[in-house]
Amino acid sequence: MAFDYENSVRDDIGDAHRTYWQALTKPGNWFTSAQRVAIAAASREATDCQFCADRKTALSPYTMKGEHDSSVELSPVVLDAVHRIITDQTRITKQFVDGNVQNGLSKPAYVELVGVVVAMFSIDEFHRGMGLPLEELPEPGDGEPDNYQPKQAVIGTGFVPMISPQGATGQEADLWSPDRTANVVRALSLVPNAVRDWVALGSAQYLSFEGMSNFTQPEGRSINRMQIELVAGRVSAINECFY
Amino acid sequence: MLRVSAKTTNTEINLQGIAGDQAAAAQGIEFGAELIGFAEALALRDDAALQKARTTLRAVAGEAVLVDAAGVAGNFQRMVRIADSVGIPVDDMQGELGQSVRQELSLEQFHSAENSLNPVS
Repeated sequence: MAFDYENSVRDDIGDAHRTYWQALTKPGNWFTSAQRVAIAAASREATDCQFCADRKTALSPYTMKGEHDSSVELSPVVLDAVHRIITDQTRITKQFVDGNVQNGLSKPAYVELVGVVVAMFSIDEFHRGMGLPLEELPEPGDGEPDNYQPKQAVIGTGFVPMISPQGATGQEADLWSPDRTANVVRALSLVPNAVRDWVALGSAQYLSFEGMSNFTQPEGRSINRMQIELVAGRVSAINECFY
Repeated sequence: MLRVSAKTTNTEINLQGIAGDQAAAAQGIEFGAELIGFAEALALRDDAALQKARTTLRAVAGEAVLVDAAGVAGNFQRMVRIADSVGIPVDDMQGELGQSVRQELSLEQFHSAENSLNPVS
């Protein structure tokens, strides 16, 4: 069984990680399962990519030419997006995302890619934090992407269309309630399952939406909210995240 | 969120813990120094420091605390990348609490501040 943690790891963490592994074995809206697993594999290689390391120190990350260290078969534009998200995310620009569209990576596909990369990263980083080996990636499943995108997604916040705070209706009604959302919740809503995936992982690794309103001692956690936010804040600061 | 939780519990804290000051992190927060040592080693990808920080946190606070800290740290390795990959601005730039935190920690120096200071439309 994947993610067969020892007793010290909460069951809900193992459940969330296994559920995500299952999600990787199914096609997304814009990528096949094989492509999603390849994106996941590429995200693992990004941290050891010499080109990324060199580019990270460059004044302009968009003029440097080179090749990423990768054993994964992905188009250059997809591979570059994966590596940037892991290694140089603060310098991703609207021009970069728009430019990718011209090179065959549509905005909804980019959003699905972001969703896979960040979900993988959060699971792998949990393992690294615990000193555990990384879980072997799942075998890809069959099926084709259905190219679904929510009609109510609109341009106006950030680099990609998103569902508005009041727009989580119809098939997307489960994503959030209008009084409990934020830009970071809406960020990947052009691919609703990407939101569902990160909310499920976040509920296990951080807090559920309900738990976020508890500023003292969230249920089921061994650390209080101040301790949780201290860790969150330090990680965010090192990543130079203004948001 | 740290400041809100401190206010909620009437705890005096020092936000400079977020900036990496271990003594500040320990002010009002149990295991604060060990927790930011762990978070910092993980986010900086310093394997030797991470091993040491993990051992220390486990020894002083226990396995369950380590699990929760690793979960939160992994989660925020994700959250920051969601925010920056799609360029979302801060939800409420005018909020007094947020403004004071951003000022105290000099967050406007970050490259990604541009997404909030000059958001795309």
